[in-house]
Amino acid sequence: MTVLGREIWALTIPAIAWAVHFIAIYTLISAACAPRELIGMPLLIILGTAATALCGIVAIWPAIRPPSGDALGLAVRLGATIFALAILFDAMPLIYSSGCGG
Amino acid sequence: MTMSDQVKHYSGSRKGEPGKTMEEIWAAPTGVRRWASVSHRVVGKRFIYTGFAFFLIAGFLALLVRTQLIVPGNTFLDHETYNQVFTMHGTLMMFLFAIPILEGFAVYLIPMMLGARDLVFPRLGQFGYYCYLFGGIIVLSSFLFDAAPDGGWFMYVPLSTNAFTPGLSADFWLIGITFAEIASITAAVELITAILCARAPGMSLTKMPIFAWYILVTAFMIAIGFPPLVIGSILLEANRLLELPFFDPAVGGDSLLWQHLFWLFGHPEVYIIFLPAAGMVATILPTFVGKPLFGYGFIVAAVVSMGFISFGLWAHHMFATGLPILSLSLFSAASTMVAIPTGIQIFAFLGTLAQGKTRMTTPMLFVMGFLFIFVLGGLTGVMLASVPFNWQAHDSYFVVAHLHYVLIGGMVFPLFAAFYYWVPNFTGRMMSERIGKWVFWLMFVGFNATFFLMHVTGLRGMPRRVATYPEGLGWDRLNLLSTLGSYILAAGIALFVFDFFRHLKRGALAGRDPWGAGTMEWLYPTVPVGFNFHAIPPVESREPLWDQPRLMEGKAEAVEGVLPSVNDGRRETVGCDPVSGAPLQVLRLPHPTFVPMFTAFSIAVAAAATLASAYWIVLAGGIGMLIGFSLWAWEPSDSGVTRDVGLGYILPVNVVGKRSHMHIAIVGTMLVLYALFASLLFALLYLWNSYPAFAARTGDPVILWTAGALVAGAVLVGSGSVNRHFALADRIGAALLLNLVIAMIGVISSGLLVMALVGTDPWGTALGATMWAIVVFVCVNLFVTLYWALFNGARKITGCIGAGQSLPDYNLGTFAKGAGAMVVITAGLFLAAAMGGLQ
Repeated sequence: MTVLGREIWALTIPAIAWAVHFIAIYTLISAACAPRELIGMPLLIILGTAATALCGIVAIWPAIRPPSGDALGLAVRLGATIFALAILFDAMPLIYSSGCGG
Repeated sequence: MTMSDQVKHYSGSRKGEPGKTMEEIWAAPTGVRRWASVSHRVVGKRFIYTGFAFFLIAGFLALLVRTQLIVPGNTFLDHETYNQVFTMHGTLMMFLFAIPILEGFAVYLIPMMLGARDLVFPRLGQFGYYCYLFGGIIVLSSFLFDAAPDGGWFMYVPLSTNAFTPGLSADFWLIGITFAEIASITAAVELITAILCARAPGMSLTKMPIFAWYILVTAFMIAIGFPPLVIGSILLEANRLLELPFFDPAVGGDSLLWQHLFWLFGHPEVYIIFLPAAGMVATILPTFVGKPLFGYGFIVAAVVSMGFISFGLWAHHMFATGLPILSLSLFSAASTMVAIPTGIQIFAFLGTLAQGKTRMTTPMLFVMGFLFIFVLGGLTGVMLASVPFNWQAHDSYFVVAHLHYVLIGGMVFPLFAAFYYWVPNFTGRMMSERIGKWVFWLMFVGFNATFFLMHVTGLRGMPRRVATYPEGLGWDRLNLLSTLGSYILAAGIALFVFDFFRHLKRGALAGRDPWGAGTMEWLYPTVPVGFNFHAIPPVESREPLWDQPRLMEGKAEAVEGVLPSVNDGRRETVGCDPVSGAPLQVLRLPHPTFVPMFTAFSIAVAAAATLASAYWIVLAGGIGMLIGFSLWAWEPSDSGVTRDVGLGYILPVNVVGKRSHMHIAIVGTMLVLYALFASLLFALLYLWNSYPAFAARTGDPVILWTAGALVAGAVLVGSGSVNRHFALADRIGAALLLNLVIAMIGVISSGLLVMALVGTDPWGTALGATMWAIVVFVCVNLFVTLYWALFNGARKITGCIGAGQSLPDYNLGTFAKGAGAMVVITAGLFLAAAMGGLQ
């Protein structure tokens, strides 16, 4: 794969990590808070934290170890940072909410 | 090794016009045949002009709304008419103006900016335009039948169900808009493919004009964002037409399911509207500052992240519907987060402004107006992302003010900047700077007078969509001033229309690159030649007209490049590697044809006949559509030859393999189909999770048939892979056999899936109806696979396919794999339900 190709991947992978994380958190909340109550709050928090840690590392990795090219270097580092932040933001409700509420 | 590596030379001309010059081959058809034009320039302008016509109609409806609200207790419009007027205002603006007109600009500009002679699927462009036109006519014609939709532009259920909206008004909306949306989706696939596959030699992704990045991300967003609404609309129409209970709470349906599906489309749509307009700003700004765009890399990152994150915000339109607080917090966090990529773009624009002395032309005035208004709209957006504030402001005029600040500031002002900037490219003449400044100030003052005050009106408690209000609530003067402001805004737009028609005869001649821009659409004197480039020059930077002086030194037609002459009497452009931009292939392009128009017309007949409950005509329309698509695809293949295109390149024509433009389009189409499929799966899981009692009452799928479908789906996936292998190996006989196998497995898979649900009553519960909806959707995909396989087989038997021309089989293989995977996923879910029970 060319350097530019690796940079395109490095730009895309954090985005996919964010999408996977968002779907995971939404699914977990739906599993815990819908009438079916598939899981309880403790499991929601454990799985949510694990998903956040995993996806957060995948998302931030290109910012820590960017590919060697410089054509999209800025975009890769900034994109990775934005998506890692977004993953943290989306996980915040799990930390400060004690239950489903509403 | 792909077929492109093995292609042979041959001297045949396929569907060409030998002996004609480039000008003659690319000449625009005249007379009645002008409607058969497939040129991106013609189609793009049609999108733009039609979209602007819808804008004027929708604007007129807005004036009726404002006139009704000018004083308390007004009787200018009765309540029913008022409902129709505001519904059609929103519908026309959101579906028939904003997205199509931006796509029109993209269709017109992208090939010229990227160094292509046309988009890579010109017939798809014509087809999309006619779908849009006919769909828009269907929606507008509702006024003639006194059946204009009146349920608001988001058509909430249960209001839009038969019980509360009898008659045809909601059907006009659902059928017309869904039909028109085909245009957006086809344009998205076309633009993705064109941007990735048809750029000038050397134009890597990092050397693309920033507008192309914006359009690329937008096109992907359309491909994923529109399907939930298409599915929602089909489910609601099925509810109205067949009484399938998707949204009926009495049998486990849910009106919130509609809201989820609608806003899964509706919120990304805001960004789908904003991003191309921001791309216009990012293109116009550097021209008038005289410096390259500040922070190209920052903007690419911001646009990509915005494209993703905007899909995580949909439920912030549903904060008042009783969702769990935890869900609200998730969507609140995501909604706040999207401010970061937005802010990065705004700061990059400000950084560009700070780099040099700005020429304050009319387009720049509109850009400055965009910055001022959109930032205010963005700030109120952050306010509304906060759940407690949102609860207070929900459904009030504060929200009306916010959405107009975002949409008019974020899209209409950039659009007018784009008009003033690119009109010389359309017509060869300049619009008036003096009148343009009047237009800007009238629009700017009128807009703020109308909508800034609405923040206050909303905070004083006025709900949106009320037809009138009593005096003495503190709303009277605010509404009066808002209405007067709307008249000023309308005067600005009327002056623009006057200036446009005036400039057609009296505008100064624009000449070559009138603004001193750096992008390729200004290479030729305006109006550029119909095929954009005599020879396609290699590109070395993002602003080639600034950085490659030789491009502007001599005559444009003398510029050196690839494809300097006609091959085989055919229209063609150069295709590139999607990442590096290195020349990869010659792309053969179709000549003018009525077939896409006929196909779109057939669908329009089917849609209109559905409204009239004339089902034999629906069938006739469906058959017409099938004939249209078959005629479209039944033509000699162009692959299998190489051509010398100059500058030392000898390239294959229409390469076979993963990097083929047609294969990339198939992947794009699969993306759309999987977004449709995922929307149905979302509906299934949502209803199953939310209504366990009704899930238990739904008949379980039959294990035996479901397991059979699972196996058949897996075989179909395998057959698709083998078909691709045979295609690359150019084994025509084996591929013919496999075509028949794929067709047979498609039929078997459909039969097994249908048999699996024999015990599930689609009218019994909403969940059962949704399971059937999924099976019908998968079966439609299997029917396409079947028809395609038989079609390919017939082409081989009749000798249409020669050596090195197996691209249709390669693409069929990819499609069959996708359809087979849908069968596997569906059967897997059903099997889990059958084994564990739906309860």
